[in-house]
Amino acid sequence: MTGAVKIRRAVIGLVTVAALYAFASEIGRGRLPDRVWLGAHYVENVQLLPTWRSLAEEGTFLIESGILPSSVAVSTRRVMLGLLLGSVAGILLGLLTGWAAHVESLADPWVTFFRYTPALALLPLYVVWFGYGEASKVLLIATNVAMITLLGAQHGVRGVPRVYLDAASSLGAKRWLRFRKIVLPAAFPSIFASVRIAAGLAWVTIVVAELIDARMPSLGYLLALSGAYPRVPSMLIGIATVGALVLAFDLLALLVHARATRWMGRAG
Amino acid sequence: MKRRRSLLWVLSLVALIATYALVARAVSRPDVLPPAQDLAGAFAALVGRGQAPAAGGEHQHHHHSSDQVDTLLQEGVTLQASLAVSTARVLFGLVVGVPLGILLGLLLGWSRRADDYLHPIYVLARSVPPLAFITYIMLWLGHSEAHRLIPIVYAVAVTAVIPTYHGVRDIAGKYVVAARSLGARGRLLLAKVVLPAAAPAVLGGLRYSVAIAWMTAVGAEMLMAENGMGNLLVGGGMWSSRLQTRSDPAVIIVGVLALAAAGWAMDAATRLVTARLTRWAR
Repeated sequence: MTGAVKIRRAVIGLVTVAALYAFASEIGRGRLPDRVWLGAHYVENVQLLPTWRSLAEEGTFLIESGILPSSVAVSTRRVMLGLLLGSVAGILLGLLTGWAAHVESLADPWVTFFRYTPALALLPLYVVWFGYGEASKVLLIATNVAMITLLGAQHGVRGVPRVYLDAASSLGAKRWLRFRKIVLPAAFPSIFASVRIAAGLAWVTIVVAELIDARMPSLGYLLALSGAYPRVPSMLIGIATVGALVLAFDLLALLVHARATRWMGRAG
Repeated sequence: MKRRRSLLWVLSLVALIATYALVARAVSRPDVLPPAQDLAGAFAALVGRGQAPAAGGEHQHHHHSSDQVDTLLQEGVTLQASLAVSTARVLFGLVVGVPLGILLGLLLGWSRRADDYLHPIYVLARSVPPLAFITYIMLWLGHSEAHRLIPIVYAVAVTAVIPTYHGVRDIAGKYVVAARSLGARGRLLLAKVVLPAAAPAVLGGLRYSVAIAWMTAVGAEMLMAENGMGNLLVGGGMWSSRLQTRSDPAVIIVGVLALAAAGWAMDAATRLVTARLTRWAR
């Protein structure tokens, strides 16, 4: 019952926004300036608020020409690779530093340094070191992801109640067994939450990296190209596509999380 | 125990610096890993003391690598001015974005009805990385400060919603039931029950907002700004030709170190303020 009300209200909210946009774009057609000053020169024929119709036409074109699918594939591949590399490295390091105190003090200055470095700032350095192309982008994402998951794993390990560990060792559980049977499961929610945050930030990272080094084909390239002309329908479709991918990754992460923690029960 | 830990900490830091110096010396490629004196030289040049590191006496190697310093110095860019500009942008983003996010979070957390209607829209909006629509803002508002500030405000606001929402719904919820049954209503309920109960969560989320603000500010400046730390890192140039010139890793490393220091300082300040404001909660 309440579920149905929720869905109905969600649909009403979204449809209202879409209708308001349609209304605004119809009013704006012919009234908004179509000649825009772009820093150095004017550009003509700009639809600041393209109608749903022209968005649909542009979307069909972008899909049928294969531009959008290949851009999505390239960018998604980079994000997945970076996410995989970064979270494996970050989670392992985080578990290690959270579990072994002397390793933690050894790693702490490095962690402190990277933790306060905005990941995007490393992009120029990675371009110098690894050149343009795949390596610098994937590694940039991986660094960013590793940092966040490291902190998540550390947090998770430290949050394990002391009583659990003491109880287990008094029953004779050795270090490795305690780690595997108590620390890992208890740290899982925190690790997982950090992976979810990292996935969102990985998309922010890749969009900026691709905008700066705009090459065929990628979502950043699509955004840069449609910004250079400018071709607003393409631009908006590019922005919406990035948003949809972020959302899809997030939903996927939630689904995996629900699956993986089914044993915990949902008592609240 | 505590002393041993801090000893390890210092040892590790010294080892980090020594390893870097040794590796840089062994690799002997100042265009990839600049030696320590290059970093010092770039730092001195960027804060406006001394010459560009190339003038230090080394030869052709440096020719390329100091291009970025030369360009930056010609444009009158200094490290402290860039840091000041970026900090100002970050602070603007926080001052405008955090209250907006808190208001939205309060609305969604407080009213079940508003949550039902608006939450899906919020989730859609949250999913769009603010730096993706920086060009679109520029089309509307022209080449101005606005398209650097709007993404920062947006990113901060969207981040600040979540902890507020959870603070109001999950933490304050049980107190609200109790206060209601005692007859508290409306403004009294909000001011005396909901806000204090949600405050620790809201303030705890502030640290994320600070980190996101820095990241977005640097990204926006890298993409299109002629000042600030992002501009310093990519070595100036117009939006379409960013990073096309040969970068000097010494400048980038100095810039990254400065950003890390600034980020650390702001985070420490945030933690201090948060601890002060929520002292009653512990």
